[in-house]
Amino acid sequence: MSKFIVISTNTELLRVPSDRLMFITSDGNYSKVYTQDGHYRQVAYQLGQLEDIIGDQLGEEETPFIRIGKSLIVNRDYIYLIDVSSQVIIVSDCQGQFHTLQASRKALISIKVLMENTEL
Amino acid sequence: MSNYKDGMRDDEIRIIGAQSRKPQVEVFSSRVDEPNPSELPKREYSSFQMDMPNHPKPVKKKWYLWLALLAILLIIGLILLLHFRTAKEDPYNGVFEPREEVTVQPVKQEKKLLGHEADSLSSYTERIDTVINDVGLAIFIPYNATPELWVGRPPEKDPNIILSVQAADIRADNKEILGAFVDKGTPLAWGQSKSGYCAIINGKMTIGTSENTPFFEQATETGGYFFRQFSLVNKGALVENELKNKSVRKALCSRYGQIFVAVTASDESYHDFSQALVDLGVEDAISLVGSKYAFGWWIDRDGVNTSFADGWHKYKKENYLMWRM
Repeated sequence: MSKFIVISTNTELLRVPSDRLMFITSDGNYSKVYTQDGHYRQVAYQLGQLEDIIGDQLGEEETPFIRIGKSLIVNRDYIYLIDVSSQVIIVSDCQGQFHTLQASRKALISIKVLMENTEL
Repeated sequence: MSNYKDGMRDDEIRIIGAQSRKPQVEVFSSRVDEPNPSELPKREYSSFQMDMPNHPKPVKKKWYLWLALLAILLIIGLILLLHFRTAKEDPYNGVFEPREEVTVQPVKQEKKLLGHEADSLSSYTERIDTVINDVGLAIFIPYNATPELWVGRPPEKDPNIILSVQAADIRADNKEILGAFVDKGTPLAWGQSKSGYCAIINGKMTIGTSENTPFFEQATETGGYFFRQFSLVNKGALVENELKNKSVRKALCSRYGQIFVAVTASDESYHDFSQALVDLGVEDAISLVGSKYAFGWWIDRDGVNTSFADGWHKYKKENYLMWRM
């Protein structure tokens, strides 16, 4: 059974199975948490704070989540395409969910190399 | 919350988890090799057991047990004695039929104010970001400042004004102030098209909903301020508005005696905005001039001046609610 990521504020509690969380985007003081069912939820946390929350809740082992630059956290299990030349990363569950996200060229090269070495 | 800094650059990546907070940009320039186990951080096992002195277990003394047993028996005996004595004195007082109903006092819920405890010396605006029912709200709480109204071009360079928002709407046809308006005791408009009002009498702000209120006359007599706007929340209840379009909404709110301005993070309907304010525990709220073009600003604890608007639609009679230190 997958672990849950619990994001709690003084008024809300968001509980997402970690393997269903596709990616998180930053929107200033807020972040949007996208799940595999096509929904997203806005939370009043900055991306760095969510990074800490995920790191704390999923334990000391490496998680499938990768922070990419200032404005993106991606679940590597959903990475479908890394297009360095277009500076685009496509996150998909290959069942209908398909999100095109922007990232810096250097960050994308880093992820590409990382995944080439870890996926083999 | 807004002061959180994580020092991440756009060209960095890092795997969240074990080595979190350490950017892994090196991957860009070199292949990833198996880490040398000797270089891995050694897990520190609890030293509790190793540090425990090897004392023999203390010998249990049985007389303690006997004493405890005796004490328990004594207590049981005392309870039984008291019970039978009471029953004898009052034969109608059954064990399962108490004659007096137990009244449960409702627990008073602690009224917790938003924001932190204000420093009594400095004047500034605190910003709090929250999400209620998927409505992103930025809450601006002014500390140690007196509210007033201002008509005309606002003094945006004045460092003494720590929070400024547009107050009453301007009529589209004649560009005059919509609804009753009193500026420092001088009435400038008399309309009553909106039921919400804000009155500032002797520096004290009151927000409410009423077609007729004595605050207009009081403001005129005492050199105070008064304006009208759409009511959003009246005594803790949502007030429905006919306008259904979505826009960046702004409201003047009263909650447990604390006054603050709430602004939506994105375009919202009046209904969703009002419901979010009700859920926040706001008792009274009126709308303020919203949209991305409603000029205004706030000054934080560090003296940084931040604008609310992307642009500025200027009108001759544009008017502002300001907090001056």
